[in-house]
Amino acid sequence: MNHLSSETFKENAKAALADVQLRGALKNATSLFGERRKQAASSLPNWEDLRSQARAIKDEVLLHLDRYLEEFVGNAESRGAKVHWARDAAEANSIICGLATERAARIVVKSKSMTTEETHLNEALEAAGMQVVETDLGEYIIQLAHEPPSHIIAPAIHKTRQQIGELFTAELGMPPTDDVDQMTSTARMKLRDRFAAADVGISGVNFAIAETGTIVIVENEGNIRLTTSLPRMHIAMMGIEKVIPRFSDLDVFLKLLPRSGTGQRLTTYQSFITGIKRTPEDEGPDELHIVLLDNGRSRMLAHPVTRQSLACIRCGACLNACPVYQQVGGHAYGSVYPGPIGAVITPQLMGIAKAAQLPYASSLCGACREVCPVKIDIPQLLLHLRGEISPRKGSAAERLAFKIWARVMTSPSLYKLSSVAGRILQRVMPISRAWTNGRDLRPIESKSFHELWSNE
Amino acid sequence: MWTSIGVSSVEVLRRVGCEVEFDKRQTCCAQPAFNTGYRDEARLVARRFISIFEESEADVIVSPSGSCTAMVHHYPELFAGDSKWLPRAQSIAAKTHELSSFLVRVLKKEDVGASWNGRLTWHDACHGLRDLNIKSEPRTLIRNVRGAEFVELENADACCGFGGTFSVKYPEISVAILDQKIDAIERAGVQAVVSGDASCLMQIGGRLSRKGSKVRVMHLAELLNESSQ
Amino acid sequence: MNNSARESILGSIRTHLAASPPVDEHPVNPENPVILSNSDPINQFKESVESVSGRCIITTDATDALNQIITDLKAQRIAYSDNPPNAHDIFSFDVGISTAQAAIAETGTLVLDSSCERHRLVSLVPPVHIAIVNASAIVETLSDALTLLQQKEISPAITFITGPSRTADIELTLAIGVHGPQELFVIVDGSK
Repeated sequence: MNHLSSETFKENAKAALADVQLRGALKNATSLFGERRKQAASSLPNWEDLRSQARAIKDEVLLHLDRYLEEFVGNAESRGAKVHWARDAAEANSIICGLATERAARIVVKSKSMTTEETHLNEALEAAGMQVVETDLGEYIIQLAHEPPSHIIAPAIHKTRQQIGELFTAELGMPPTDDVDQMTSTARMKLRDRFAAADVGISGVNFAIAETGTIVIVENEGNIRLTTSLPRMHIAMMGIEKVIPRFSDLDVFLKLLPRSGTGQRLTTYQSFITGIKRTPEDEGPDELHIVLLDNGRSRMLAHPVTRQSLACIRCGACLNACPVYQQVGGHAYGSVYPGPIGAVITPQLMGIAKAAQLPYASSLCGACREVCPVKIDIPQLLLHLRGEISPRKGSAAERLAFKIWARVMTSPSLYKLSSVAGRILQRVMPISRAWTNGRDLRPIESKSFHELWSNE
Repeated sequence: MWTSIGVSSVEVLRRVGCEVEFDKRQTCCAQPAFNTGYRDEARLVARRFISIFEESEADVIVSPSGSCTAMVHHYPELFAGDSKWLPRAQSIAAKTHELSSFLVRVLKKEDVGASWNGRLTWHDACHGLRDLNIKSEPRTLIRNVRGAEFVELENADACCGFGGTFSVKYPEISVAILDQKIDAIERAGVQAVVSGDASCLMQIGGRLSRKGSKVRVMHLAELLNESSQ
Repeated sequence: MNNSARESILGSIRTHLAASPPVDEHPVNPENPVILSNSDPINQFKESVESVSGRCIITTDATDALNQIITDLKAQRIAYSDNPPNAHDIFSFDVGISTAQAAIAETGTLVLDSSCERHRLVSLVPPVHIAIVNASAIVETLSDALTLLQQKEISPAITFITGPSRTADIELTLAIGVHGPQELFVIVDGSK
């Protein structure tokens, strides 16, 4: 699969900006998503209260995450689920491959799960000899195209219908068309027999209820229901932060998530799965395995500013609102998690060394914070990360420039000569070319305001 | 860097009855360092800001910049846990206001007696809008400028793409974002774009002039200082 | 083997929480302000179902309504939730018929409970799903439905259904009928 790297974000972004088709697709999609979200939010007069409540619930869980996880696990296990703990991506993949191998699985159907993308689970299953079929239409499209997802909610948002039509013709033998209904029917038809033949179904989890041991998964297409009810084994992977305390808390989150993500009041299906069936004759899998993934999440608990990263309910609203994402799309970020939330969790999950550029790829406009259903203060997080990265990893020239800047700004005599400092800055940092490639510079004035004031 | 903003701000404040002083020892609010992640350097400069303005007997500190005002409001965060500087930071932050917010919310002055003939529009600078909730105040002030025809800009609240060092670290993205704003301005058919932050005006003005546009950029203070004389 | 992973993760959580500066904990206030309710939940339900491209018939003769739909569809192979076909055969059925244990007026949502009937495949696999719900089982809000479900131990599988299946994954263009049913009929039995 052709993965771009976060380490080359700047180059990735430049390439994306040159891709006219991509920019057109992004413009349409993000503005449509944004409009729908706005209308859906304003249709609820208590929207702001809901956001505050959701954030308060998440804060409560995260402050006592160990306790709530143990409660969830205890309840899920008492209902027949098997719970596995995975410290990192490799362990999660190893657990899941092991379970599938025990089942002598040949075909695995999957519904959309960001955590399984995070761990690169598909590659691990394929290496173990299994056929992995993505069943969410957007994921199916990018699987056929050998591309990573470009958006948390709509993975194929970067592709036009013409591109998808051509892909289906080439890979599935579909008669040439760019009619969306025809493409959808083709996918439905092709995937039906995979569902029927699958030995194992793998899903994500939107919410895990501590009080009852229930996992809740939401969707529009029906592929999650098929994935989690047809095969004999269901494996659900979730980040440890997905826990919420009480069943009744779902009211708040089920109001916020669909509206924020797609502008819907509710998605077509919500599945509430608690353990396994009570008798062998009942429908559903014989086995339910829940894999809890840490992979760097527990580290984020160590500071209130970073802890809020874990409140994210993966709605994608921040992506659609972000002026940077709107211009460059998801692939440029080189991460499973793009956009504003991606810019803050990717360095934390993958390590700063692998994603040091991302926290700086923002104008700090705050549009993301405005639309986040759980009120994550992403600009605050970006500034926090910059505060961690710059002093240690900023270029020598930049660190020197700011030391000089601080000297000038705290010394009256130096400040008077600040035009000199300005020229030094311009020499050590290629600011002027970066500015003047696209914009004119204001001419430097002959007298500063300070000097004018003296003449009063 | 843009002296007429300072000059206009002082004149407007005086015209509405304020006694204005300017402490020449001041330098910077420390935003560039803070935003780029150099908090130690930011604190050095912020302490100077706080020390200088503490000495003043003025009731309020007014800034013609939403982003500078927002930065001063961040001072308590910068000095969190510092028992000596935190209360001083909080005290200074509490009395620092952005110009339009000060005029409308504090002085209750919606008409400063300005006049300017032409069609203009307003760009909401991000820090002013989202950190300080400044949205209706500039519009109110502009609508009272005699002779000015105000047009609401499409996506007025969309970022101009400046973002401090972002504009030079990621110039291509910065300009791509900027061009959305420029397109909207061109569609609005105005003679001037007004905003409350010099950085946005440099960004927008820089691109307009590069494209040979006749549209001029004005700071709100400059507009409010215009008269038909 | 996995116990060490469990202890390691829980330990990591505790260590990092302990390292964090303390914050004020604000108790969660679960109260929502009351939103003015519709005095006619049954008609509100019908409107909501129709707004998501479902069809809704309010009747006192559910059997007759059901037969009418089946006739109009010219359906041949019909699956019933009280005796559902097995997981392989069900793919060749034209219509799946189930009841619903409750329904939500504000969203047009059906609530199906696996401990009451075998709804999972019947309401999902055939291209048409027909659901019958008692008028008296219609509640107003999502919150009401969640409360209802908590009156007994949560069943292994509960499903909320709001309209036929759909996607907007291609250029955000709405397409109805993806993996789940392409058509949804809801019969509200007013006699109960």
